[in-house]
Amino acid sequence: MASKRTKASAPGVPIATVVVMRLYVAGAAPNSIKAITNLRAICRRYLKDCYKLEIVDVCEHPRRALDDGVLVTPSLAKVSPAPISNVIGNLSDTRSVLAALGVPAIEIE
Amino acid sequence: MNPLLPPPPAPRPADLASEEIAFRDWVRRVVKGAAELQAFEAGEIDAVIDPATGSAVLLPGAQAALLSSSRLALSALEALPGELCVLNASGTVVMTNRAWRASVATRAGGGPGIREGGDFIAACREASAPERVHAEAFATGLQNVLAGGREVFRRECVCRSAGGRYAFTLTIAGVAHDGAVLAVVTRETVSERKRAGGPRRSGRARASRIAALARAGTPNRLLAALPAKDYEQLLPGLEPIKLTYGEVLYEPGEQMQYVYFPNNCLVSLLTVVEGHRALEVGLVGREGMIGSRLALGITASPVRALVQGTGSAVRMKSARFLQAFRHSPALQRVLFRFTDALMLQVTQTAACNRFHVVESRLARWLLMTRERVPSGEFYLTHEFLADMLGVRRVGVTSAASALQRQKLIRYRRGVITILDQQGLEAAACSCYRHVQIMGLEAAT
Repeated sequence: MASKRTKASAPGVPIATVVVMRLYVAGAAPNSIKAITNLRAICRRYLKDCYKLEIVDVCEHPRRALDDGVLVTPSLAKVSPAPISNVIGNLSDTRSVLAALGVPAIEIE
Repeated sequence: MNPLLPPPPAPRPADLASEEIAFRDWVRRVVKGAAELQAFEAGEIDAVIDPATGSAVLLPGAQAALLSSSRLALSALEALPGELCVLNASGTVVMTNRAWRASVATRAGGGPGIREGGDFIAACREASAPERVHAEAFATGLQNVLAGGREVFRRECVCRSAGGRYAFTLTIAGVAHDGAVLAVVTRETVSERKRAGGPRRSGRARASRIAALARAGTPNRLLAALPAKDYEQLLPGLEPIKLTYGEVLYEPGEQMQYVYFPNNCLVSLLTVVEGHRALEVGLVGREGMIGSRLALGITASPVRALVQGTGSAVRMKSARFLQAFRHSPALQRVLFRFTDALMLQVTQTAACNRFHVVESRLARWLLMTRERVPSGEFYLTHEFLADMLGVRRVGVTSAASALQRQKLIRYRRGVITILDQQGLEAAACSCYRHVQIMGLEAAT
């Protein structure tokens, strides 16, 4: 009985992962606003609920950005799953954002 | 501008051009990555973090846009009909709006009338009767807010003066700015009618209002979702109770004598296999109730309901609950939605138990527990978790160790503490999201 249970919970079945991202912005500056809008649209269209997004305002927390190795904003960092990656700019190029996030460009209904 | 002085010379285009070139050179020196430089050249960058000073340097375009939005915000505050002033960390007034200044100029309605540059705390301490008691409280409240002891201080005051009686509310809210805490003070005049609570209410209306207040105060979300009238019908039959870890509320096949609405306790629904092994199929906390099967006309429990988090709840006799259920369409609606959410949870859990690895399931289970109780720390033994997840004890040990190694949880002497909620969500299987979203949607 016990061995059956262990077998039942063995790996092998793909598990949908949550993409954890951090977006560094400079308050309500134009490119930062664009980056937030673009990223939200991408997440809605391609990730549905499979993501976690944290927005860090470098005007308030510059030290946090420095510690994370971020020198310019807007800057998007994919935290997990590995490999980690970065996209710089206002995220208007959807294809490069999806490539960095490791998400295929297939829309979710 | 002083008309006797000549206007300052306008910067020549050549100066601006050389400044911009110098700035761009500085950015190129600081930013070395190709992607960063490419975005900079494309005009997609707002700010550069200066590694030498550790501060964010805004690019001219971003600076102009932020300045413009700051001006807009200041104009909006200035035009606000409510009286508002901002104090710095030492309690000095650094900004006031038009309504505050107008009120100070004709101060007759009570409250500290301090101009820009004035010391709010000193003014409160020096206040004379009839406001002295309130002013002392304002000063203490402000010091608390500035010290970070509380986020908001609010006090309604009624004073008598030669001009008559007046009432006002003073609110002090802390705002983090540049590493310090500032305080935003607003003063609102309260009219006599508002103080009296509006027009006089009948006994019935007053009872409804009391029920509405009690409903708003209940931590159980299912009860809180009921209209005041329907909650009022249930109220006399509800009995507060403490549920203790390990207590069994129902055994499979047993008649459900009571229904339970958890406030901050947690109840597991377990399917008992072969009379002794138990597997968790559902988890109910403050979002729902235990005994919802009554709504389907079935009085016996199909599962074991086991308290796995000590806390408070309210309970009601099943017969009385059924009576209220028959007469309240709102209660029926809320209960059917919760039953649906619970069924979704049960079906998702069944699939999860079959397909997902123990580590992901443990993460999912901890998150679900966290969602249903107000604390991020629970007392759980490995044996208990093994039963909940339907695996052997050793499986739980290795899954808990893996989560601990990733610094997502801390496990010490049966006490599990969630250290990194976000990381745990990333480690959990997709079922958590389904159960979380479905559950929340259905329960609200």
